[in-house]
Amino acid sequence: MVNPKEIRDYAAGLLEQGRVKSVIGYRRGTAGCFAEPCTLTEPGEAGSLVWDPTCLNNLALYLVKDRKQQAASRTPDRRPIGIVAKGCDSRAVAVLLQENYFKREEVVVIGVSCEGTGVVDPRKLKNSLKGRSALKVEFGGGESIRITTRAGESELPAREVLADRCLECREATPKLHDVLFGESLAERGYDAPFRAVKAAEATSGEARWATWQHHFDRCLRCFACRSVCPLCYCPECVVDSTSFVITPQTSAEEKANRIRWCERSANTAESALYHLTRAIHLAGRCVDCGECERVCPVNIPLRLLNTKLEMEAFEQFDYQAGRDYDRPALISSFRDEDPNSFIR
Amino acid sequence: MTRRTGVFVCHCGKNIAATVNVKKVAQELAKDEGVFFSEDYVYMCSDPGQGAVIDAIKKNNLDGMVISCCSPNLHEKTFRDASELGGLNGFQCEIANIREQCAWVHKDIGKATEKALKITRAAIKRVQRNQPLEPIGVPVTRRALVVGGGIAGIQAALDLTDAGLDVILVEKQATIGGNMIKLSETFPTLDCSQCILSPKMVAVSKNPKIRLMTQSEVESVSGFVGNFRVRIKTKAQYVDPEQCKICDDCTAVCPVAVPNQFDQGLTNRRAIYIPFAQAIPASFNLDEEACLGLNPVVCGKCEEVCEAGAIDYDRKPTVTEEDVGAIIVATGFDLYGMDKLGEYGAGRYKDVLDGLQFERLCSASGATGGHVLRPSDHRVPKEVVFIQCSGSRDPENHCAYCSKICCMYTAKHATLYKHHVPDGQAYIFYIDIRSGGKGYEEFVQRTMENDGVVYLRGRVSKVYQKDGKLRVLGVDTLTGTNVEIDADMVVLAQAMQPSKGTAEIAKTLKIGRDKDGFLAEAHPKLKPVESVTAGIYLAGAAQGPKDIPETVSQASAAAGKVIALLSKAELAHSPAVARVREPWCTGCEMCVDACPFEAIELVAGKARVNEVLCEGCGSCSGVCVRSAIDVKNVTQLQIHEMISAILA
Repeated sequence: MVNPKEIRDYAAGLLEQGRVKSVIGYRRGTAGCFAEPCTLTEPGEAGSLVWDPTCLNNLALYLVKDRKQQAASRTPDRRPIGIVAKGCDSRAVAVLLQENYFKREEVVVIGVSCEGTGVVDPRKLKNSLKGRSALKVEFGGGESIRITTRAGESELPAREVLADRCLECREATPKLHDVLFGESLAERGYDAPFRAVKAAEATSGEARWATWQHHFDRCLRCFACRSVCPLCYCPECVVDSTSFVITPQTSAEEKANRIRWCERSANTAESALYHLTRAIHLAGRCVDCGECERVCPVNIPLRLLNTKLEMEAFEQFDYQAGRDYDRPALISSFRDEDPNSFIR
Repeated sequence: MTRRTGVFVCHCGKNIAATVNVKKVAQELAKDEGVFFSEDYVYMCSDPGQGAVIDAIKKNNLDGMVISCCSPNLHEKTFRDASELGGLNGFQCEIANIREQCAWVHKDIGKATEKALKITRAAIKRVQRNQPLEPIGVPVTRRALVVGGGIAGIQAALDLTDAGLDVILVEKQATIGGNMIKLSETFPTLDCSQCILSPKMVAVSKNPKIRLMTQSEVESVSGFVGNFRVRIKTKAQYVDPEQCKICDDCTAVCPVAVPNQFDQGLTNRRAIYIPFAQAIPASFNLDEEACLGLNPVVCGKCEEVCEAGAIDYDRKPTVTEEDVGAIIVATGFDLYGMDKLGEYGAGRYKDVLDGLQFERLCSASGATGGHVLRPSDHRVPKEVVFIQCSGSRDPENHCAYCSKICCMYTAKHATLYKHHVPDGQAYIFYIDIRSGGKGYEEFVQRTMENDGVVYLRGRVSKVYQKDGKLRVLGVDTLTGTNVEIDADMVVLAQAMQPSKGTAEIAKTLKIGRDKDGFLAEAHPKLKPVESVTAGIYLAGAAQGPKDIPETVSQASAAAGKVIALLSKAELAHSPAVARVREPWCTGCEMCVDACPFEAIELVAGKARVNEVLCEGCGSCSGVCVRSAIDVKNVTQLQIHEMISAILA
């Protein structure tokens, strides 16, 4: 099991030696037992770092935020950043590197293996505790989670409370890392990859259409899914004309003639277009960190859309985003052996 | 500012008008916003049609023109030129394809008319946002590369030097001459192949404007029409052609024997060899794979006996980079694999030969010194069966196409056989006789009448060995009887297929291939020597089965095209190229990977387009999730409006 002290010591070391300007990690949050992301700049703060199954967030997002900040800054600070990364966080960092969003030497990846478990799904946790609130959630070793409530300590099989994405996770240990804490387990006894999307695909087309219409109808267009996604880093989102970037180079013509592929109003058709475009733009890039689904205030199962495309990428092109970062990006490359049955 | 757009709808005779209500399309469009002129005309591409375009622009002061007609492949240039004459920038004229993409593929007049309206409306929307563009001038390199040293490559190279151009001739084998130099005589005049080809080969070697690179292959090509950069890989030249005196001392000591590919495997040669006496370059060569001497501990005999000191085992392969303005691909053909015709005993029985092997038997420089003898026992064959369409015209099992030259060369083989063995009997199994060509039909008739060759219309089902003979089971469909012939030799007129390596060269040069693997011409009728890539031309059997006169014609045609291309000081490059919207670009490099022309590079973290390399294909625009790259006059906004117009 990973001892959080090791992570703290390593982070403190990085800061002390001046190898990084800051370390992005998790600390105890203020909302119940869950951890929250934090940025440490002083070695003395490293003691606040935690590592447990409540470290839900994909921290790669904060690398993107830093990069945007530096790009806008008059005095950009380009010193490297350290980042505590689970398997999925590391995959996101890998895709960002593959897309040249920053350079390899600008990030120090402190890899942490989820080993036999992963992070909890707050909703599942709530259900399994039948309304009581957890005071502490820890790794129980092996495939179990130890939960402390007012009633005392108990151990649950991880399967009951793990987030769906963790159950289907193919790579709980970060492949891309500068240092790795925890063991890499080859076999994890959870769901087969793409189980949920395969189950959803087994239903009839009409049923699927009805389901998605229902979901898209409920979408508030709050864009939380886009805000939390570390790979939705475009300065202007093509489905959102309100984020139109105006710079000194923007011509009058461009300002006048900006394209509205999709309107902002939250009606079913426009929301469907937004979500489908987003899913397509993440094809071969989505690392299945499940953040979009977690933050959705109306519980739209967004992972299904993204994992469907990841499944196609994997089954058709033998490509896994974040894992095959040494290859050219899926959508921009062509190999002779690529399937071409669609050409008649 | 309101754009003033004009529309012409073409009838194309009945091609479009039969399915699309052309008049209605023109009338409906006249009501559209921004359309100041809309008419139909029977043949837009005719002189009065083009004149109407010029007049309409002048009279109505138009700033955009849409011609609703056939594919832009055919007449985009015609109407852009006409628009220029009318005083409009050519790039403000667009084509709406209502023939190939509408009239020809539909039957219902009502629906087709509706579709034609939508296609044209989309083009109107597009043209209303088109920018006037000026062609980009690009200087040219006045040199050419010819790939393949067969008769096609030789002819093209010689023609190019006649026009004063420098030529690099690249050949994979140790000598030029290709397949033609292996032939004994050529139909229909029966002149000796070597006699007519070797003077041309010598001319190549003596020509100071030709740089001949044998044992070489094109490794990569970058650049574009007028300015290609090619990397040519040459195998290690263990024998220095300058120093080799062709004294033949080395072959006497070489302990290795391997099949001689110049004799189609009928004879053996040493690991150090000269392909044939008239080979160009006139030098011995060392077969890297067969030679033991590359490990001096094992052998090294030839180096010891070479008085000229021409042999050096330490030579390494070299890579040369050359700049050329145009490329002619003449990589020729191979015969269809004998291993694929097991039912004819091919590859199993020594006396079942392919066409080229039979040529080597007849040739004076061949395996048997010009006597037709059975490879198995060196006896004179008294009955020979020739089987045409062996692998050709058989879509179920082999090649679907007709290899075109087999009818003629089989007739020639039978004639040559009769010349060598006057008391022998030749039988030819055929499906049809295709003898189109000057003097060809007469040649076949002579073969039938003067040489008494028995032509049997039908196919052979099986060839097997029995009592030292080859029993051929076939059918004569004209008499409706089964035929059994006990032959001494069987010659298969194997199908022609693109030479080994055609797929790779096509990929390297980024030119297409057709369904049979031959190099694809840009247009089957009107651009038969151009490849789909500008500046790359095709010649010879690599483009499709053809005989020597046709190959020579095509080679000269390709050379003519190159001469015309390189006669200009500057080439005009289409200005409809990609443009980066820098604030949106995050430098993810996806467009760099996707660009098939290597036209995009990252400069200071942003994509930058080399306008001269860019062909405006839009691959970059397709992969950019940030829509930070657009092709001029096909911008996202235009596409969006075109889609909206079609869906309206």
